[in-house]
Amino acid sequence: MKTISLYVDKGTILNKIAPESKIWYVIAAISIPALMGIRWAGIGMIAVSAVLLLYGKVLRRTLPFLGVSGFVLLTVLIIQGMFWWGNETPLFALGPAVFYVEGLRYALGILINIINILMSFCVLILTTKPSDMMENFVRRGFSPRFGYVFISVFQIIPQMTDTMSTITDAQRSRGMETEGSLAVRIKAFIPLIVPVIMSSLINTKERALALEVRGFNSRKKKTFLNEEVKTAADRYIQIALPVLILAAAIWRITQWLA
Amino acid sequence: MAGIIIEHLKYKYPGTDRLALNDISLSIEEGEFVGIIGRNESGKSSLCQAVAGLIPSFYKGAYGGKVLIGDLEVKKVPVDELCETVGIVFQNPFNQVTGAKATVYEEIAFGLENMGIPKDEMISRIDGAMELLDISRYRDRYPFDLSGGQMQRMAIAGVIAMQPRVIILDEPTSQLDPQGRDEVFQAVQNLCSQGITIILVEHNMEKIAQYSNRVILLDDGRLIDFDSPQRIFSRGDLDQYGVEAPVYTQICKRLGHKMEDTGCYPVTLEEAKTVLRQRKGG
Repeated sequence: MKTISLYVDKGTILNKIAPESKIWYVIAAISIPALMGIRWAGIGMIAVSAVLLLYGKVLRRTLPFLGVSGFVLLTVLIIQGMFWWGNETPLFALGPAVFYVEGLRYALGILINIINILMSFCVLILTTKPSDMMENFVRRGFSPRFGYVFISVFQIIPQMTDTMSTITDAQRSRGMETEGSLAVRIKAFIPLIVPVIMSSLINTKERALALEVRGFNSRKKKTFLNEEVKTAADRYIQIALPVLILAAAIWRITQWLA
Repeated sequence: MAGIIIEHLKYKYPGTDRLALNDISLSIEEGEFVGIIGRNESGKSSLCQAVAGLIPSFYKGAYGGKVLIGDLEVKKVPVDELCETVGIVFQNPFNQVTGAKATVYEEIAFGLENMGIPKDEMISRIDGAMELLDISRYRDRYPFDLSGGQMQRMAIAGVIAMQPRVIILDEPTSQLDPQGRDEVFQAVQNLCSQGITIILVEHNMEKIAQYSNRVILLDDGRLIDFDSPQRIFSRGDLDQYGVEAPVYTQICKRLGHKMEDTGCYPVTLEEAKTVLRQRKGG
């Protein structure tokens, strides 16, 4: 069985950079625009993420994420554009629906923040091996359970999809209709979903047993097969990004005081 | 010493009225290869899990009696400590893949990392386990990309690398092809010759007869018999317990050919040949 992993090894330097550096990037990409309170900072970070994703050869894989969030973003734009509490200046009207400058500006801020968060996370997720990420968490003193929960998300989806397909075939072979009108599909839903959930619970129990007997909950200090690889770039990134965050915070404080 | 002593072991799963293990007492010598046979629901897997400490620590339920491995009383030792003494391999290989590692090599290292084994030793143990299970060529493959048989051998390698003194295999070859099955049995027998105690649940009676020093026959959670494969498979009431003797034993039973030294029916091809030769010669 294949597993769905968002990670793609394109052999670029982004694949070689330590997960910790990319986590720092996510923190910086989110916190710097928030601290500075300038819309252009957010747009700048989106541009940086886009360049990184392009360089990492995974920009195209970001599009489905943007597509999925597009509906939410459109809703935000419509609701804020029409109903934001500070709306005063009408910009345009579509029939009875009037859109205001203030609401659209506010919605644009939200849009930039969401796209910025999404794209910076894409830099992390699309270029980092999940197992490296888990190992990184454990090395930094996090519980292995925390890392395992992160990894499990990528396992549960393909496992359930595979089980669903097997059960659908089994039920079809026994004469159950699974395709057709909405009523037919609703009728087929329960006999399909119940075995999927039951088998997933059984599989989860078996995997928990297998982890248990391999010392997953051991209180001993863990060792690692792979050495932690830190490139020169990692060292610079892990110094430069915290410094930039600090600089943004200081700049904001001086703005308040001025 | 890693001999196993089981004293009056009783166990009931939570929410059930039936005893899954009913007053079982037996003793297994260190380095012995013991097979467990019996029909479905006879208590084979429950007995394995009781020796591995998963019963009662993982399953809870009502537990009575004692399981001792050397000086350790299984019930009193946490599973994450006990796994250094007892390893267990389950039936479904897919569910034994941790999913936390990107290659077969790293997957085998998972248990060793948890045990805090130094890197150099870890590498030597992994290489040894991979060689023993003949999976060295898959070392850089993604674990989920392996076939069922390859995946099971990887799971066994993961346990073997932890160097437990007792290894329990609960129907480990049910998803392997005949060649893979033989390789696993050969590897397991090698381990046994190194002094590791092996407990094996298996439905293939020929294999049980070939490799086991002694065989446990269970039915409805009760210990029916614990003796040499020859004595177990020579019983006349095996049908009653849902067990079919190896084909060589069945043939010799029909012919009425017993081994002269033990008075039992032969259980392996070699034994059957010897008996037939003796008969022919006589």
